[in-house]
Amino acid sequence: MQLWMIFGLWLVYLALTSNLEFSNLVVGLLIALGLTALLRPSPYPLRLQRIPGMAWALLRYGIMVGKDVFLGGLQVARFTLDPKLPIHPAVIAIPSGAEAELATALSAHTITLSPGAVVIEIGEQGMMYTHTLDVTMPDEAYFKMQRQRRDLLTRILPSPPT
Amino acid sequence: MDAILQIIAIFAVISGAAFSILGLLGVIRMPDVYTRLHATGKVGVFGVVFLLIAAIVWLPAGRGKALMLILFLLLAGPVTAHALASAAYRTGIPFARPIRDDLEHLASAPLNDADTPSA
Repeated sequence: MQLWMIFGLWLVYLALTSNLEFSNLVVGLLIALGLTALLRPSPYPLRLQRIPGMAWALLRYGIMVGKDVFLGGLQVARFTLDPKLPIHPAVIAIPSGAEAELATALSAHTITLSPGAVVIEIGEQGMMYTHTLDVTMPDEAYFKMQRQRRDLLTRILPSPPT
Repeated sequence: MDAILQIIAIFAVISGAAFSILGLLGVIRMPDVYTRLHATGKVGVFGVVFLLIAAIVWLPAGRGKALMLILFLLLAGPVTAHALASAAYRTGIPFARPIRDDLEHLASAPLNDADTPSA
């Protein structure tokens, strides 16, 4: 996990500086090493045989989020432009269903990223209290979407050490 | 090829400007802080994201920076919206015309131990 983090931070540094000179590569690597030493990420095992499954789940997750964001954006745009402002706001409780806190946090992040929904609080047992602009779907539809998110996130995230 | 890139860049600029204007309209038209966050917190962010996509397509020198900015915006935008909504709720700002409020039962109780003042 630490190697992936060092590599990721190094890539971010190189993207931001847009400079591939040798001295800059070394500086970037040193900064990535320093930051990883300071942050001390959890030593989750990342097995190579899981990577194709993770990549596939990540792709599906990206498509799902992209679709939610696009449809949500259109919906909010329609509400904003409609003279009657036909919103039906509500706060609904959506159980995250995930055991890992990271999966709950990422679920809340994804919900909030979609226009039309903001997670206000995360309660006990990962209950996400979500403010939605338009409550027209039955609760089960929200729960089903969350189950899909949880299942994909469980496949994407490395398993914590037992 | 340049013509195609130009068309993509123009489309991205127009989309970005449209989303930004929609975000601004949302701030004016929505009835309370929570609904306004839907407009500014996300629709506004997508305005900037589309403008950065235009920069990626049209300005090759800034591709890395623009990609990273999009990533950081998509990571930080929802966190900001969540923090503002949570702060508004904790300071007692009411919802405008809510259909239902599943969070109501927590309003009278502290949200967690950290909220309980120590003796």
